[in-house]
Amino acid sequence: MASSPLVLSPQPPPSAPSSKFPPSNISKAKALALQHASTAPASPTGTPTPPADTDLDAGAQMNEQVRRQYVITKQIGRGTYADVFSAHLASDPQQLVAIKRIRLQTGWTNGITMDSIREIRFLSELKHPNIILLHAVYSTKDQKISLVLEHLPLGDLEEVWHKHHLPYGNADIKSWMLMLCRAVWFCHSHRVLHRDIKSNNCLIAADGCLKLADFGLARPFADPGRPMTHQVITRYYRPPELLYMARHYGPKVDVWSVGMIMAELAIRNFLCPGETDLQQLAMYCDLFGTPTEETWPGVSKLELYMPPSTQKGMDGTTVATRRGQPASFWKQRFSLLGDEGIELMRGMLTMDPNKRLSSEEVLRHRYWQVAPRPTRKEDLPRRPGSREDGEKRLGEDLKRVAGEREEVEGGRADKVARKLDFGALRR
Amino acid sequence: MSKAASRVPGGGAAKDEAICPVCKSSRYLNPNMRFLVNPECYHKMCESCVDRIFSHGPAPCPIAGCKRTLRKAKFRTQTFEDLKVEREVDIRRRVARVLNKTEADFETLRDYNDYLETVEEITWNLILKIDVEATEKRLRLYEEAQKAERNITARPYQPDPSLPSEKAQVVLKKGASQRKAVATSAANTPDSRANPQDGEVEKGFNFHGLKKYVPPAPEKPLDPFDGWAIEPQFYVVQDDYDVEWLTQTKNDPVATAGGYDMRDFYSRALCDAFSGFGVFVEDEIEARAKGLSGDANTGTRSAATAALGGKDVNMDDVF
Repeated sequence: MASSPLVLSPQPPPSAPSSKFPPSNISKAKALALQHASTAPASPTGTPTPPADTDLDAGAQMNEQVRRQYVITKQIGRGTYADVFSAHLASDPQQLVAIKRIRLQTGWTNGITMDSIREIRFLSELKHPNIILLHAVYSTKDQKISLVLEHLPLGDLEEVWHKHHLPYGNADIKSWMLMLCRAVWFCHSHRVLHRDIKSNNCLIAADGCLKLADFGLARPFADPGRPMTHQVITRYYRPPELLYMARHYGPKVDVWSVGMIMAELAIRNFLCPGETDLQQLAMYCDLFGTPTEETWPGVSKLELYMPPSTQKGMDGTTVATRRGQPASFWKQRFSLLGDEGIELMRGMLTMDPNKRLSSEEVLRHRYWQVAPRPTRKEDLPRRPGSREDGEKRLGEDLKRVAGEREEVEGGRADKVARKLDFGALRR
Repeated sequence: MSKAASRVPGGGAAKDEAICPVCKSSRYLNPNMRFLVNPECYHKMCESCVDRIFSHGPAPCPIAGCKRTLRKAKFRTQTFEDLKVEREVDIRRRVARVLNKTEADFETLRDYNDYLETVEEITWNLILKIDVEATEKRLRLYEEAQKAERNITARPYQPDPSLPSEKAQVVLKKGASQRKAVATSAANTPDSRANPQDGEVEKGFNFHGLKKYVPPAPEKPLDPFDGWAIEPQFYVVQDDYDVEWLTQTKNDPVATAGGYDMRDFYSRALCDAFSGFGVFVEDEIEARAKGLSGDANTGTRSAATAALGGKDVNMDDVF
């Protein structure tokens, strides 16, 4: 599975292994190799290179080897969950990488955090030009796991519409969205749910290529009947079925998030910046209409569903609209996308997950084929400013805990630690 | 004497710079004064004069002896101190926009050098105002030929209404003496027509040894999947399977309302079951043997994966 060895064995005290295991660890490792690969033609019998530290076991040695391949130059991000460093290959200083060193969280004293397990597991399997590349994984002496990731110095997609006054048009949006949709489709066709797609997690590489990052909340598709947690996906991008506390959901949750990103790019603002989960739901109901059994079969069976008569509107006092905004509203507000773009966006932002487009249907949509052709990635508008700024942004993006927003503008500082409700799974 | 001689040129230059030749206002009175030039005649005047004279549309240049019609939009600050240099740079820019071949476009270096000589000839003709009409005509011909070849509808350069060649038509409506002057200047043109190269030029953009222009291949239709195809190779997924232990979930409205799709599960289960069909251990071992030189590292690596993956092997660390 993993091209890079994930070895987490700590460095044992110098005396312990030699007393417990009299034969050299190397020879034992070789014996194991022969035993497991018995069909291998003439296993290498050349003299093994003399190990640097004879008191390390085989795993620790491999770990050392991986670790020595990279030279850390400076720290570019610091967070409660992870520290991010800029580094380069020891053999070639031109080859930059970003190293995400996960801090051990207090809640997880014995073992690796769930987030990093997920991240390592899925990133080492999913290799696609639009998904961040995991070069290697190693652990340091103090038991911290370091992920060696691709160096993506051009910021993220939120910066594109938010921070700078970058001019861009429909062709550029189409290009970014196409790269994102390809990444999402690739995840889904490998039966992986990302569950934290947001514009912050769409990083931009030096050549303008968009890369989906942060697989800290990813998981494989569930088995039938197995409940999943609904406390995933950053709130602005969370689909209605999760707000209704559905425990059985599928890849359509990611498609909703992608639709939200598309809307964001078109209006240069969050489409639904809800401060609480209830307000988020109220915004959806105002925009898309409150779902009923006719528009979304089975919705009333979901735990938190409220029929249109009791569903509160955006300001919390009135009753939400039943029918949602008319077509003219979308046409006017999202005129940048063109008719096909609006059609695709509304297809992705359909309340009923069974009617929502799947990631493959999204790629088969005619929006991609009509004019304008998506901009080539080298010609996409780029963030102004120095490379250091972009690196800083990369540091900020990578240090973040999955599923959380770290935005303090407007006094909206929801830095509350994310709680994954694992206890609820056993119910 | 020497004192006066040293002062006069310096003082003169400062004076030229500080006083507008049109309104005679000086920098002393107006510290923010900016001078503008028009690439039509390169006569310098201050910003307020430009505003005053040309705000109501095209007007003749106010400098005595210069009759050219100027437009306000064309005025700009000069880049070079020497206006001759400024003019030369402008002309070179205009010529380079039309004659922009590179060495790669020619078959031999000799042909390229001949081409460069023609470019230089045209440029200097324009700079030194020799055969302006004929040269302009030639330049325009080149441009049209290229435009037709590339099939580009919009081209940034458009001939100015007050260019000398166009002006010739205007002059024809004027007095007889001026018409005579035009006739004499036209008499110079056959001179250049006699040039053998010019005969070819008349037909269009035609240089010896110039490779034929190959238009770039039309773009392929966009593939949204970017060449990736993930199709099951050994099985076909059906829409529904009648399995007893799945019926309960299949008919559970809570599961379906949340968007859980049984088809995702079917395809996953089939993939788990059958995707190993295309993998042959022998092939992988062969590939590994070819790709790796035998060193101790290989053994250690496979040992570690075995130790991590195999459940029957105890890790030799106590933590």
